[in-house]
Amino acid sequence: MSATLQPYLLISTLLLCLGLYGVLTRRNLIAVLISLELILNSASLNFVAFGRFHMADPSAGQVFAIFIIALAAAEVCVALSLILLLFRQRRSVDPASMDQLKG
Amino acid sequence: MDLTLLWTIQLAPLAVFALIFILPKNARGIAPLLGLTGSAAAAVSALCFLLAHAGKAGQPALHYSVDWLTIDLPAAWPLGKAVSGTLKAGFLLDPLNLLMITLVTVISFFVQLFSFYYMREDESRPRYFAYLSFFSFAMTGLVLASNLLQTFMFWELVGLASYLLIGFWYTKPSAAQAARKAFVLNRLGDLGFYLGIVILFVGLGTLDFTGLGKDAVLSALGPTLAMAAGLLVLTGVMGKSAQFPLHIWLPDAMEGPTPVSALIHSATMVAAGVFLLVRAYGVFSASEVTLEVILLLGCVTGLIGALLATRQRDIKKILAYSTVSQLGLMAAGVGAHAPQAAMFHLTTHAFFKSCLFLTSGAFIHRFHSNDIWTIARGGGRKDLVPMLTLTVGLLSLCGLPPLSGFFSKDLILEAAKHHGLAAFAACVAVSVLTAYYSFRLLFIVLFARPTAGHGHGHHAHGHDAGGHHEDLLGGLSRALPLLLLAALSIYAGFLGSPMTHSPILVWLGGHEAHFDPAMAVKTLVIIAVGCAIAFALHRDPDASEKKLESSKGPWAMLVDRRFFIDDAFVWVTKQVGLRIASFFDLMDRWLVNGVLVNGTSYRIADLGRLAVRLQSGSLQGYLACGLAVLAVTLLWLTGGSSR
Repeated sequence: MSATLQPYLLISTLLLCLGLYGVLTRRNLIAVLISLELILNSASLNFVAFGRFHMADPSAGQVFAIFIIALAAAEVCVALSLILLLFRQRRSVDPASMDQLKG
Repeated sequence: MDLTLLWTIQLAPLAVFALIFILPKNARGIAPLLGLTGSAAAAVSALCFLLAHAGKAGQPALHYSVDWLTIDLPAAWPLGKAVSGTLKAGFLLDPLNLLMITLVTVISFFVQLFSFYYMREDESRPRYFAYLSFFSFAMTGLVLASNLLQTFMFWELVGLASYLLIGFWYTKPSAAQAARKAFVLNRLGDLGFYLGIVILFVGLGTLDFTGLGKDAVLSALGPTLAMAAGLLVLTGVMGKSAQFPLHIWLPDAMEGPTPVSALIHSATMVAAGVFLLVRAYGVFSASEVTLEVILLLGCVTGLIGALLATRQRDIKKILAYSTVSQLGLMAAGVGAHAPQAAMFHLTTHAFFKSCLFLTSGAFIHRFHSNDIWTIARGGGRKDLVPMLTLTVGLLSLCGLPPLSGFFSKDLILEAAKHHGLAAFAACVAVSVLTAYYSFRLLFIVLFARPTAGHGHGHHAHGHDAGGHHEDLLGGLSRALPLLLLAALSIYAGFLGSPMTHSPILVWLGGHEAHFDPAMAVKTLVIIAVGCAIAFALHRDPDASEKKLESSKGPWAMLVDRRFFIDDAFVWVTKQVGLRIASFFDLMDRWLVNGVLVNGTSYRIADLGRLAVRLQSGSLQGYLACGLAVLAVTLLWLTGGSSR
């Protein structure tokens, strides 16, 4: 097993790009939320990888990853409830339809 | 002590004016009494002052001034020179305005007294007395002012008072119109006056009358500018003193109550122009051209006024045109290098003309008509007191010795004679015409046969005031001012007569008048000619009335249309004034409103419409935008640090 940082960074960049693409293009708010998870995961992967290769004690990066997972759980909780409310009001979860503040 | 008296003269009328307006409604009845008290206080103070200082020629009795504004401007466009000077405020008392202030306050007192009788049935009497007091305040301020700017301010205030009083019966359209006419024409003149003041201040750095001597003006401004300044100030005088061609407001001003005509539009305010001519004589005499213009205007005004007076039926109009023509004579006197003579004529004129106007007021109030034939047929000649004062006033007006007009008009005729034949001829013509219209009025009132039904008028004519009830107070306030003014108009002449070594002229800084038998004979001939023509034409008033009504010749038309001067004003206004106005209207609509105001707002709205497109409402669009900005920023930051 080659022990270099580069593949991890490539994978995390890929995850970030996929996530961004999803956030910007999906027509469903649930899917947007899932894409957001990808972005968060790319960040966790970075923390763990940098911790593993550049720090004397890798546990700092791992703690950050755990925090991010917890934060993601909380964020999903809030976001899902918002989406639920939105759906009840408008029978739609398409972000393009939410343009009431249009000038 | 002196200063206290001055403040009393100045402020007593103002206090009355303010007091009348804050009186509770049910106490308004004492307004006439208040007015009378205020004017009496001012008149007594002025007389005390006069007695204390009369006869001390040469030096000003009092010069009190405080600095008001110091002006220090660096040289800049459009003047091209630095301007520095101090504007002052204060009193300057010298023989000239001591005389004038006495005149103003005394006549003002008599007029208030007469108004007590004349306005007793009028509903808005308190307003009348308030305005009259306000006028007294403004007029005394004008006379006492120590510098030209202060004069100008009070000059405007008397204009306002005049406007308010001409339009006193503002429900009458003709009165409201006359008030507007007077106001607008006066503003026209005052514009020039103001510009003249600006030139003088820029050139001399002072507006004090003591610093406006002939030599000072000439050396500071040079001949051309001095002429310009003189002519500009003269336009103000033309407006206020009703000189041709701005004289047309004065006859219309007779729409006001008759005592007002006596005080403002004959004796004091309209004389303020002549007073200013004498007061700032240095400014005018700095240029020979200015004096010539004054002389010419005076002669033209005198002739026009006298000619127009010959064909009037309205007693007040006759007197008004007579005032115009006498003011012309005074101006001609100033133009002929005889300011003292002009001032003397102003004094005598003030007394006999206010006497005449109050007399006409007494007639009008009794016979409910301004028409001389109606007054005559109503039995005017049986009304002894006004008849007596009418005779004294008219004879004084045409200059019969030894009445006051004789001495003062003689001096002006003499000055004109010294000056040139044309001016002398014009003044003689004015005098003949004056004698003619005076005797015409006298003969018509004297010779008319009273008719039944025209007796002491109880027929509602809707004129100046309602019915009359004679009681002691009313009769006294009717007769007393008339008789006293008549006495004064006899007495005033001796102040300047050769027999008494003309104290007034010497006091004003002139020469003693010399008795010239040839001149006296000429005056008598002038009066005789005028009297003879009047007798020939108006021996039978009925016939002369018919003749007046039926004459349709070009001359009659010319006079009846007032020499087309009013029409000329209307024509010029329409042709020039309206064009200028419509040009500015267009500029306002198109340039100011269209391009500047609306243009700016429309362009800004367009920008806003551009910005609106950014607010698409698409969440993902915003997010993409934000990410792009973030990416660019990061690139820029990291790129900057790595290099």
